[in-house]
Amino acid sequence: MKKKVVSVLLAAVMVMGMAAGCGSGDSGDTAADTQNDNGAESSESDADGESAGDTSSSEKVTLSVLAGQSTTDAGIEEFIDEALAEQYPEITLEWECVDWGNDFQPKMQQYMQSGLPDIMIGKAQDVATYAPKGVLAEIDSTYLDRGLDAARENVTVDGKTYGLVYNALYQGVYYNKQMFKDNGWEVPETQEDLQKIIDDCNAKGITPFASHMVDTWSIGNVTMQFMMNDVFNKDAEWGDKFRNGEVSFSDSKEAQTAYQYNKLIYDNTFPETFSTEQTDCDAKMVQGEAAMKVSGSWSIQNFLDIDENFEFGIFPFPNQTGDSKLIFEPNITIMTSAQSEHQDAINKVLDVLTGNKDLAVQILDYTKTASMLKDVTPTFTNPSQEDIDKYAADGRIVDVTLGNNQLVWGGFQEENAKDIAAWLQGDETFEDCLKASDDRVEASSAN
Amino acid sequence: MIVENKKLYAPRRRWPRMNATAGIQIVMTLMALLFIAPLLMIINYSFKTKKELYLNSPLSLPNSLNFQNYINAYKKLDLTTTFTNTFFYTAVSVVILALLCGTTAWAIARCKKKFFKFCYIYFVVGILIPYQALFLPIYTIGYKMHLTNTRFGIIFMYIATGVSFGVFLLTSFMSTVPLELEEAARIDGCSVFRTYFLIVLPLLKPAMATLIIMQAFQIWNDYLLASLYVSKKELKTLTVAIQSLFSAQSSDYTTAMAAIVISVLPIAILFLSLQKYFIKGMTVGAVKG
Amino acid sequence: MQVSSLFTGKDVCIMKKRACSMETRMARQYLCLVLPGFIIFTIGLIIPLLLAFRYSLTSWDGMTVEKTFVGLKNYIELFKDSDFRNAWWFTVKFTVGNTIIQNVVALLFAVALDSGIKAQKLYRTVFFIPCLISAVIVGFIWLKMFSNVLPAINDLLGTNFNFLLFGEKSTVLRGLLIANNWQWIGYWMLIYLAGLQSVPAELYEAAKIDGAGTIKRFFNVTIPMLAPSITICVVGITTGSLKVYDLLVSSTKGGPGRASTSIIYQTYTTAINGRQYGYGCAMSVTLVVVLLLVALVQVKSLKSREVQA
Repeated sequence: MKKKVVSVLLAAVMVMGMAAGCGSGDSGDTAADTQNDNGAESSESDADGESAGDTSSSEKVTLSVLAGQSTTDAGIEEFIDEALAEQYPEITLEWECVDWGNDFQPKMQQYMQSGLPDIMIGKAQDVATYAPKGVLAEIDSTYLDRGLDAARENVTVDGKTYGLVYNALYQGVYYNKQMFKDNGWEVPETQEDLQKIIDDCNAKGITPFASHMVDTWSIGNVTMQFMMNDVFNKDAEWGDKFRNGEVSFSDSKEAQTAYQYNKLIYDNTFPETFSTEQTDCDAKMVQGEAAMKVSGSWSIQNFLDIDENFEFGIFPFPNQTGDSKLIFEPNITIMTSAQSEHQDAINKVLDVLTGNKDLAVQILDYTKTASMLKDVTPTFTNPSQEDIDKYAADGRIVDVTLGNNQLVWGGFQEENAKDIAAWLQGDETFEDCLKASDDRVEASSAN
Repeated sequence: MIVENKKLYAPRRRWPRMNATAGIQIVMTLMALLFIAPLLMIINYSFKTKKELYLNSPLSLPNSLNFQNYINAYKKLDLTTTFTNTFFYTAVSVVILALLCGTTAWAIARCKKKFFKFCYIYFVVGILIPYQALFLPIYTIGYKMHLTNTRFGIIFMYIATGVSFGVFLLTSFMSTVPLELEEAARIDGCSVFRTYFLIVLPLLKPAMATLIIMQAFQIWNDYLLASLYVSKKELKTLTVAIQSLFSAQSSDYTTAMAAIVISVLPIAILFLSLQKYFIKGMTVGAVKG
Repeated sequence: MQVSSLFTGKDVCIMKKRACSMETRMARQYLCLVLPGFIIFTIGLIIPLLLAFRYSLTSWDGMTVEKTFVGLKNYIELFKDSDFRNAWWFTVKFTVGNTIIQNVVALLFAVALDSGIKAQKLYRTVFFIPCLISAVIVGFIWLKMFSNVLPAINDLLGTNFNFLLFGEKSTVLRGLLIANNWQWIGYWMLIYLAGLQSVPAELYEAAKIDGAGTIKRFFNVTIPMLAPSITICVVGITTGSLKVYDLLVSSTKGGPGRASTSIIYQTYTTAINGRQYGYGCAMSVTLVVVLLLVALVQVKSLKSREVQA
């Protein structure tokens, strides 16, 4: 009897397994078919037919690509492959996609022992880390000229540009427009304004801030936003002075204020923020459970996925002096290896990336980010665009690379964020948290 | 052997203690439910759409059996390649490990010279070396010896990291292998090698099975070494593919859940169908040793 | 170095004992059996360890060509590093917790399954399946369980259990222990189960005749007879737990703050993300030394047990 029951169960499980296996197999094929419809195979065969004449002479090249991606970037490699297959079918890209925050640096370290991949895709701040080691190649000005001039500034080391900035993010406080309208709240300019909104929220039972502090990176990210407006806007060389011992977290009133804003958020967010992940947090924001979220463009993808009609705006987190700027971050940055034997092929890839406007729009629409190429504008609806344009017109935009280059992410900002988390949870005193940041001074620079 | 024993003492268990047995039955059922709950949760999630995920309670059932997540996961994981790779690496590594550890352990157990005593300690220490912390030197060595991005290289590393546990396990098992047979063989003029393969190896089978299964687990589920040594798409393993899916799709974890189901399913089916041999193999050596 | 001196010692020995050539020939053959494993193991693990030791005396960042020699500076710094100490403390707590819980629960489960209950195989399968899943995935699953699924049960039942175990320093260890135990209990249970089933029934009969009760029989007969299984389980769980890393990567990422940063996790973030490769290497060398001491103790106690048996 027992045996029978067991064997029936076993059989059931196996059948289920088979069914699922076959199901996914079959549907896999259909998926591939649909995929082909919108590109891959058809374009490849087109390309073979058309451009075979002028490219048949060049031999097949495979380039290795290390892509350090943020959550919103995953998937763009397929677009690039398609576009490349159309323009330069002789080039194949061999992608290695890793998470930028966790795995890009280890991979780079690893490859610096053996030889870098031909193309590396990271963030603008990576240029400052790797260019001084002499492993990156200069980017040809043909391609750089197709990008916005602002894109060059922070990827240039000693007058040479080693990175091609492709798109950009905006960071600040996202807010629920409808909720602000309903409650008669104005976009806050000063801390007092913000406090009024927080008080009103609390009175009405709305959570003022959505946050997901389980992710240490999010604490680190907002802290840098605060630092930009309260510290770097006042003193653009604060990080260098910090390394020279002129200023420190324990002494600087401004830096402490920036840290303290974390407390303000923590006191006015979900009680379970240390167990709330980004997706859940964004969902709560869209569902009207919270009024604001200190974040960046990466939230847009989630917001619109959950509700395509969600109306949101963005404003910079108010600083003490009431003159905060919206934060701008160059995001996808393409770097190339100095030792690559396939410089021509690399240039062709850069040509596709910078010259193919359809591809650029496709990528920007997918990642919901802003363009860093001339004459390319994404077509997705971005309810916060209006606000961004307003701040841009007033010149109230600042590039966060300034801060990120002086105080690096890995080993410094990231570690400080852990101390901030411990302090917020009452496991560490504020003084210890500041002192820990000061003690980390040697790790604050990439070089 | 197990079965025989079971028969022997089965009557002992039939005490008039039905209440206690029933109580145990209930407790174990509850425990089993607790154990299976997370798995059911994964399956439930894997059928949900992104909207359902956000807007409905995590406990609610999906509105329809939606296989889209599975399709996405199947494509993203490149399942055929990654599965074949993982299977290949695991199979080859454990077979070599079994052969290698067997000879090594036997030599260590039989030869009383100092060097072999030292070898034992040397290998056992290896169990405790956290190769996770040595990842850069391991990569450097691998690169210098042209082992990276090759099937041979990754298998080499699995052997290097697994050999110490194998030697430890098999050496302790050697005490159960009767010396008389070996001595008789030697008197008959068998060389050391012949003695091993003809006499000792067959006796080692149960322990070998244990070793193979334990190591197969480790290698099948290994993440760090695979991610370190293999970056080419056609050489990737399942765990590496899943991990990159996790970090890439952290905002879309319904797909990730589907990927978990797909990746666990083959090994689970394999386990369920070979359960009897599996469990026997896994435990016999361990108990004797 | 020690290796080579032993080799030469052996060579000398071979020369001296040319007379008893039989023995040396056999030793040489044994040597041939040991060498392949020895070489692979040395290249794959020991040389990297020695390299790590060399790096630990430098201030290398893991990228540049030059590696500045700094002597024992890194090791001295380690003693002042409170993060390092905390990581040790967490790892020890995690290991001890795991060793105790996993052994006790796995043994209890095994005894329960062996007590003649129905559908034994079904239970066995259910408990065993989690260990087919890799630790990276297990971490991910429990992250979702604690932050989404279990709180939803609270909502459903109107209860107010604190399921957000990964969210606080005081509970994160508990959460990780649950995740790790969920994965491995079934595995160790099987080993105990096999051990129990190979205990000769006569022993129980004898104890019964002597008038021993259930509990007394369990401690006086079952436990001693399970000694080999216990050894395997204790060694396996201890060494596995001390090296915990995969589980953390996808669940707590060492947080909140640094509350669940294990020693390997700390080494990894220091050496790689923090670009202090030399310093990170000093951490791993320290870890190896400590583990070595543990190993010595364990090997000693194992040996003594074998003698008794």
